[in-house]
Amino acid sequence: MLSGTWLNDSRHANSPRAELSTRQQLVCALGCASFYGLVMGSSGGFTGERAFQPIYSAIKVPVLIWLTFVLSLPIFFTLNTLLGLRDDFAQCLRALLKTQMVAMMAIASLAPYTAVWYLSTSEYEPSILFNAFMFTIASLAGQSTLRRMYRPMIERNSRHRLMLRLWLFICAFVGIQMGWVLRPFVGDPQSSVHFFRQGAFSNAYIIVARLIWHTVTRASR
Amino acid sequence: MMNWIRHLDQLLRGETTRIEQLRAEKFDVPIVGLAVMIDLLGLIYGACMGAFAITGSGSGHLMQIPATMLKVPALFLLTLVVTMPSLYVFNALVGSRLSFVAVLRLLISAMAVTLAVLASIGPIVAFFSVCTTSYHFMVVLNTFVFALAGALGLAFLLQTLHRMTIAEHFGSSMPVPTASELSVDETNPEANTSGPLQAVDGYVLGPHVKTVFHIWVMVFGLVGSQMGWLLRPFIGAPDQAFTWFRPRTGNFFQAVLDAIWHLVK
Repeated sequence: MLSGTWLNDSRHANSPRAELSTRQQLVCALGCASFYGLVMGSSGGFTGERAFQPIYSAIKVPVLIWLTFVLSLPIFFTLNTLLGLRDDFAQCLRALLKTQMVAMMAIASLAPYTAVWYLSTSEYEPSILFNAFMFTIASLAGQSTLRRMYRPMIERNSRHRLMLRLWLFICAFVGIQMGWVLRPFVGDPQSSVHFFRQGAFSNAYIIVARLIWHTVTRASR
Repeated sequence: MMNWIRHLDQLLRGETTRIEQLRAEKFDVPIVGLAVMIDLLGLIYGACMGAFAITGSGSGHLMQIPATMLKVPALFLLTLVVTMPSLYVFNALVGSRLSFVAVLRLLISAMAVTLAVLASIGPIVAFFSVCTTSYHFMVVLNTFVFALAGALGLAFLLQTLHRMTIAEHFGSSMPVPTASELSVDETNPEANTSGPLQAVDGYVLGPHVKTVFHIWVMVFGLVGSQMGWLLRPFIGAPDQAFTWFRPRTGNFFQAVLDAIWHLVK
């Protein structure tokens, strides 16, 4: 699947390697996301109270990815229909699912780097940035697959390009807030371990807007 | 019921509003069926919108959810009832030959499209409702979502009005583009999958289509937003007790600007 054999239908049929059913792929992808979560939450080690953080993160990473996907799907479906692209929707959905799976396998393959990073430093904030970087790489890997699978559809109908961009925008909009609500993923060494952080239910966009506003007003004084 | 869902689906796919379809059987949609679908979709979105009230930062009044569920479809249907007579009269004055029933079908279809878009953004709005502490953010998000759904509904309205006029004016004696010319074009595969929002190739919008559309947009926009203002609260301000309706003060546009200002302040 990662080497792209399934992209080519004739080879797909002959290649026993690529013949995973959708359910197997889903289980595999969920396992990958959980595995990364496990590693991601292990910055404080596996002893005492800290042992819960890897378990919590192993639950939260797949939830983050799949809940974002599920929430974004209805409007994507309606807009596709309104643009007259309903006949291609099955193909779109296949492309989106493959993208999710590729992204999750990519993130699992990056887990060893995160482990090495945790062994080399115990600082909290650089660890968050490092994890964000890993997620960015995995999402770029997913996007390259998405673009590859969308290319024949865009050649057939250029409206698919608009829908592709809209999908990425909707996912980012929901995903950023989802990540914010589900934090902590890494676990602040200074505070105790919780499934949700105290006061986690706030809004990522408002915090960013206020930060920008305060920076601007301070600069103008 | 399944039949109504099928009609809504055909509207969204653009099958009902193909020119050849319009010429063959006019614009045949079930008015009652679509009104029921508008109610159902409005209930779904209302539940998502009202969910903010049950969170810690909302007003905490459970009644807000059923109230919003009833108010969202009421907002659309009342706007239609208030504007329908004048919209038909303007349309007739400008010289369109659409009958009263045809105008009603057209408007209710556009509303069904709007509500379908609203209901499908519902899950995202519900998610933000339950995990956001800011009332003003919810006001701005909901306004944006309504504006987006409204814009798509109006795009549907414009294109369908245009297609109906083409179908009406170019009777069977005129050389109208046939199904094959319109939809099967080897050099332009995009035309094969024409949705309800795409412009028809080879025809520019007639002047009276534009005039009617502009008048409709203005009337709809003004009455709709003021109707929304009269029916508030939809979300439920955290510092106010639950009421079905608020006292008659202020107006819609001022309130949206206030919410944006509060967000960044």
